[in-house]
Amino acid sequence: MLKTPDWELMIVWYFFLGGIAGGAYFTAAIADNFGTVRDRAVARTGYLLSLPLVGMCGMLLIADLGVPRRFLNMLAAFKFWDPMSIGAWMVGVFGLFTFVSSVLSFTSSEKMAALRRKIGLVGLLFGFFLASYTGVLISNSAMPFWSDARLMGALFLASGASTGMAAVSLLMFVTGATAGEGWGKVKKADRFSMIFELLVLAAFLFMLGSAAKPITTGHFAPLFWGGLVAMGLVIPLVLDLVGHRVRALAPIAAVLVLVGGFILRYVVLMSIQA
Amino acid sequence: MTTNLIDLQHSDVIMATSNMAENHPVGFQWVMKAKERGAKFIHVDPRFTRTSAAADIHVPIRSGTNIAFFGGLINYAIQHNLYFRDYVVHYTNASFLIDPEFKTATDGNGLFTGFDAAKGAYDRTSWKYQLDGEGNPKRDLTLRDPHSVFQLMRRHYSRYTLQMVERVCGIPQAKFEEVAKLYCSNSGREKTGTITYALNLTQHTNGVENIRALCMLQLLLGNIGRPGGGVTALRGHANVQGATDLELLYHELPGYMAQPLRDAHPDLTAYMEKETPKGGFWVNKPKFFVSLLKAFYGDAATKDNEYGYQWLPKRAKADAYSHQHIFVDMYNGAIKGFLALGQNPAVGGPNAKLARSAMQRLDWLVVKDIFLTETAEIWKAPGVDPKTVKTEVFFMPAAPAAEKDGSLTNTMRLIQWHERAVTPPGDVTSDAEFVCTLARRLQALYAGSKKERDRGFLAASFKYGDNPKEPEMVEVLKEINGYATEDITDKDGKVVYKKGQPLNTFAHMTDDGKTAGGCWIYTGVTVEGPDGKLVNKANARKPADDKDYLGHGWGFAWPANRRILYNRAAADLAGKPWSEKKKLIWWDAEAPGNEPSKKGKWVGLDVPDFNPFLAPDAKNGDKPFIMRTDLVGGFFGPLNDGPFPEHYEPIESPVRNLLSKQQNNPVAKIWKVPDQQNELAPTGSAEYPYVITTYRLTEHHLSGVMSRYLPMLAELHHSHFTEISHELADELALKNGDMVTVATPRGKIHVRAMVTNRLKPFVIDGKKVHQIGVPWHWGYNGIAELPGSRGDITNDLSATVGDPNVYIQETKAFMCNVKKGVV
Amino acid sequence: MARTLAMFTDTSLCIGCRACQVACKQWNELGLEVPDWTGTYQNHTHFTDKTFRLVRFIEEPKPTGDLAWLLMSDVCKHCAEAGCLDACPTGAIYRTEYGTVNINQDVCNGCRYCVSSCPFGVVSFNETTGTAKKCTFCNDRIHNGLGPACAKACPTDSIQFGFRDDLVTKAQKRVETLKAMGFKDAQLYGADSKGFLGGLNAFFLLLSKPSTYSLPEQPKLPQRNVVVDSLLSVGSAIVIGLGALLAFRDREQGDGNA
Ligand SMILES: Nc1nc2c(c(=O)[nH]1)N[C@H]1C(S)=C(S)[C@@H](COP(=O)(O)OP(=O)(O)OC[C@H]3O[C@@H](n4cnc5c(=O)[nH]c(N)nc54)[C@H](O)[C@@H]3O)O[C@H]1N2
Ligand SMILES: Nc1nc2c(c(=O)[nH]1)N[C@H]1C(S)=C(S)[C@@H](COP(=O)(O)OP(=O)(O)OC[C@H]3O[C@@H](n4cnc5c(=O)[nH]c(N)nc54)[C@H](O)[C@@H]3O)O[C@H]1N2
Ligand code: SF4
Ligand code: SF4
Ligand code: SF4
Ligand code: SF4
Ligand code: SF4
Ligand SMILES: [Mo]
Repeated sequence: MLKTPDWELMIVWYFFLGGIAGGAYFTAAIADNFGTVRDRAVARTGYLLSLPLVGMCGMLLIADLGVPRRFLNMLAAFKFWDPMSIGAWMVGVFGLFTFVSSVLSFTSSEKMAALRRKIGLVGLLFGFFLASYTGVLISNSAMPFWSDARLMGALFLASGASTGMAAVSLLMFVTGATAGEGWGKVKKADRFSMIFELLVLAAFLFMLGSAAKPITTGHFAPLFWGGLVAMGLVIPLVLDLVGHRVRALAPIAAVLVLVGGFILRYVVLMSIQA
Repeated sequence: MTTNLIDLQHSDVIMATSNMAENHPVGFQWVMKAKERGAKFIHVDPRFTRTSAAADIHVPIRSGTNIAFFGGLINYAIQHNLYFRDYVVHYTNASFLIDPEFKTATDGNGLFTGFDAAKGAYDRTSWKYQLDGEGNPKRDLTLRDPHSVFQLMRRHYSRYTLQMVERVCGIPQAKFEEVAKLYCSNSGREKTGTITYALNLTQHTNGVENIRALCMLQLLLGNIGRPGGGVTALRGHANVQGATDLELLYHELPGYMAQPLRDAHPDLTAYMEKETPKGGFWVNKPKFFVSLLKAFYGDAATKDNEYGYQWLPKRAKADAYSHQHIFVDMYNGAIKGFLALGQNPAVGGPNAKLARSAMQRLDWLVVKDIFLTETAEIWKAPGVDPKTVKTEVFFMPAAPAAEKDGSLTNTMRLIQWHERAVTPPGDVTSDAEFVCTLARRLQALYAGSKKERDRGFLAASFKYGDNPKEPEMVEVLKEINGYATEDITDKDGKVVYKKGQPLNTFAHMTDDGKTAGGCWIYTGVTVEGPDGKLVNKANARKPADDKDYLGHGWGFAWPANRRILYNRAAADLAGKPWSEKKKLIWWDAEAPGNEPSKKGKWVGLDVPDFNPFLAPDAKNGDKPFIMRTDLVGGFFGPLNDGPFPEHYEPIESPVRNLLSKQQNNPVAKIWKVPDQQNELAPTGSAEYPYVITTYRLTEHHLSGVMSRYLPMLAELHHSHFTEISHELADELALKNGDMVTVATPRGKIHVRAMVTNRLKPFVIDGKKVHQIGVPWHWGYNGIAELPGSRGDITNDLSATVGDPNVYIQETKAFMCNVKKGVV
Repeated sequence: MARTLAMFTDTSLCIGCRACQVACKQWNELGLEVPDWTGTYQNHTHFTDKTFRLVRFIEEPKPTGDLAWLLMSDVCKHCAEAGCLDACPTGAIYRTEYGTVNINQDVCNGCRYCVSSCPFGVVSFNETTGTAKKCTFCNDRIHNGLGPACAKACPTDSIQFGFRDDLVTKAQKRVETLKAMGFKDAQLYGADSKGFLGGLNAFFLLLSKPSTYSLPEQPKLPQRNVVVDSLLSVGSAIVIGLGALLAFRDREQGDGNA
């Protein structure tokens, strides 16, 4: 007779947006550091996207507290083995990185750009953290299914990467920043992330076995299989592979990936709390 | 209760026939202690309850068949020679010979000798002892004489075989035999057992006989007056024992003395003559009675005016004023006004619909209570248009126990004091204050009256202590205890009691007006300390310990702080304990006697229930049952329904009586009430096929006022419900939680069905009989936020029928129908 | 640290009177709750923010055909290794000098991580205060020389309060007695400080297997997988990172430039 924390939509959004923020920043930092000058657009889009997202994350996190004004109490304690504790710290720290990187993304000074790249390399670690710690957080609870899933953090990370990249690519499409090779590289990286995510998901389900029932069968099964696996991963991949020459399909694929990423958090959180 | 709850831990076997764990949970700790020490615990109840959960054996019994059960045990003990012969021969009337005319119900097809069908009552001429030349009962110590009580009893219960118990009670033979063996073999010198009872035995049209049957079994097994034995009567309200001792009853005056009858007791002399027995401790009744009159009327009571005897209200009839009589009379218009002080008859009484209709016909109704009860809002009852109710209702807020000083007497005769913790708010008053104020105001109104009948009332003092408004409760206790009305001197002229000094013992009461005492059995509860101040022993707080396991330093148990009654029976004829293990009091021949020249005294772990200097070999020194005229325990004990308990079916029953032709108790009281207000279901009625019993839940209190109105308690049960077996639920296609309608010829209620394994159908004479259970705590008032705190009134189902001795209702066994849904 | 205090709930002595449940509510001033229809006497179904002691009523037919009605007063276990405490990011949940686990209401911010981290479903969220609630082991009482309200109210000593080591010894004897009396499934739950969760400071004597009472047979500390799960995440991060790295290292034109 266990008790669910009753984390609902706000937390689903938090998990989702945190994943994108982390994924986007990491994409930006990689592009910044390892891409060419022409990939600058990718870097700027990623940095600039992650900043407001982390901000929203922070707000969601605070808003969801029973006593929001006591958010600071989280910062009064630091428990390095406690995902919730470090998570709260990291949102703040990562927020700083996104802020600095965003500001620096407008610089024309090469010195500053170099600094930005270095900052990006450190910040991407925090981005990764934000994308994955939420998974580790729930997998280290007493709840069945969550606590059985050793790959929850890994899965959230893969999903954070794929949605972050999808978001960057979508934003680039919308803002018309698709010129240059950056956009293509993002999509390529995203393709890789999605394939990896599918693999992790398969391993995740395999390792869970019957413990995965809350999402693989019953009420949430259609959403999981249809919404996440088919619509959120397989179809975008197919669209991407088969139709990557048709420009208009790319944003559709990106949107589907994003929806899939949301669905992943939604089914995982809600299936045992509903 | 003859014993003390603490002493339960010394029992070798305990048989609860009441639902003790649920209704007396605090006392139940001693059952758990006994179990920890290895005692066996049996629970007899139609339902499997929280008491059964703690039991080694649960014995399901069809409601209303208790005499068949106890009769079966008596028969078993006799047949298997398991009774305690020495005890039975010497300490009971088993050896006494009865008038040869007398025949038991075995020979009278369910009736004892002397039944007068026209009167619906017994002529008891043959129900008496054979006397010898000196007027003493004849005895046969071999117990062989066919007219001996023992042989009559044996013959009477010879029909109560294992098979018969199974057919009547529905207890499988093997289970009954297991219980019989277990219970009856735990007696004799080394072992004792006790039986608890409460309403499970009383609320029947043979309620008093049920209890007699239990007592007979205990006598037979030699269990009374001994440690770990006794009759564990578990009483109701926190102070119901006190209310009984002080006689808030229609037929008795404080201290168990009859309320005078108009015709039989025209004057004090006639009363004393008729009411004072020739033997036993009651020969002192005149002292207690005159002291009582002195307590009532003070200086106005003198020898010349029979101590005010004529001012006492007299009963016109022996039986006209019980709770049930009152509501029938009220309905019929004979009663116009009603004071309900701490009572909720709109919910709590039997046939509550009748009670509500009756109260709606009153001119005025005063309710003094700590909550706005259903009775206080009788004009708002569901289905009633308030405009049509002419009753003028006055509600007087009352202070509960925590807001006043006073004493409570609990189930083990223990008087305990409580102190006011907080002052009552606003215009809330204590009951004592209300009563005294009311009395004084009435006295003022009658002040000029010259009528003789008003003199006593005008003379009575309602002043306790210095503040006329607020009675000082210790003063009330002192008046109950008794005090000297003038200086009392001994034969040498030395003052033994100064005027006003509390009496140390009822042995000091006199019948010459020199002592006053409100309830003789309580004497000793207040005494004068060495410093001249009043010592309130009800407030004594020294807990029990190894040296004083009965806790004599805690509170004060009447009489004389004695914890186990009839404790002379704990020793053998010679005054030695029956066994080392079961010692309680014994004769110490070497102890200093009451005079310097004499030696010998009863000593031990309790206050002897006996003249402590009466040697075992002195006259009557071997007779423990001092309250009885014949000084021995009575197997043969005439009540209105016979000298031996006989099984009859409840007034409403699913089956014919298998033990005799006599279906119901021939002398039971069945009220005729106009307007179909008291219809009864015929035996075996197809319209009302299920047995129903009503009962309590730990979480709720009585009519529910003190629990349904309190969120923390009210929330413990979802809502009103009925407990139904899976078998019956299947027959009715019910699921756990479905709403059902429970109906009887008197009314119907809508409740939720709790389908459970804890009830099982009975097999009665080869036929399946279903029984359901319905708690009765719900009513139409409650907490707004908790819809389940309100519910239909269970007592709308019950009938106005009663036991012929005390007129208690039959709410433990009657018949009903159950239908799915709200119909 | 003071000697560890404990509560020992001996279900073999419980009569299901719920005095403990009510005493707890009263002492801690926990408010009214609308009950559930549970189909039995039990209410409420679970621990709540207003029910810290919960008496469970379990009807269990025995193999003999007789019925057992198992009555058990359940409570926060005050685990020696407490999931709730480890989970709490604010430090609101702390261990007292007596070894009990308590929530500081002034520090708790209502994140509810503790709720999902209790292996026994004990901690509950209170919407009004916005904080997490559970049995306090009557912190105010034990610091003033009184035993817990629930233990005090229990008429049968089914709930006993004292030093943990004393109680464990007593409990072990009681199990032996019960076994000798024929209760062959009598067992202690959480008494062993070498057993699960380092032992429970509110431990139990059960008459049947733990699952009968809705207790996990082998409760585990939720935080036990933080390292593994984190390493797996790191692994996954490395793979993704490498993938992205390769994508951006690619000096050739990307394929999206059509
Ligand atoms: N918690 C709580 N405690 C109470 C009270 C309360 O309201 N709540 N009320 C107090 C009062 S006023 C009283 S009088 C006492 C009453 O105490 P009890 O007499 O114990 O109370 P009941 O629950 O009315 O009835 C007891 C049991 O009798 C069973 N029964 C029915 N018919 C028979 C029968 O023929 N034979 C046998 N052996 N059992 C039968 C019922 O199933 C029920 O379980 O409790 C007192 N204690
Ligand atoms: N069907 C069925 N009916 C039954 C029974 C049964 O078993 N089955 N049992 C019967 C029994 S044994 C009993 S005792 C009766 C009980 O029936 P009642 O006595 O009518 O019921 P209570 O609810 O106890 O009512 C007592 C009232 O006293 C109030 N009160 C409490 N303290 C004080 C105080 O200090 N002063 C004043 N003035 N008021 C106070 C309470 O608020 C409450 O309203 O019911 C009987 N009715
Ligand atoms: S409510 Fe009072 S009288 Fe009744 S069992 Fe509890 S303590 Fe005793
Ligand atoms: S039982 Fe749950 S709430 Fe209590 S200490 Fe253990 S983990 Fe914490
Ligand atoms: S809800 Fe309060 S007590 Fe629970 S983990 Fe969060 S801060 Fe700590
Ligand atoms: S220890 Fe105190 S807070 Fe905990 S259950 Fe008992 S009474 Fe309630
Ligand atoms: S108070 Fe004691 S006996 Fe009553 S339910 Fe609680 S633990 Fe059981
Ligand atoms: Mo009663």
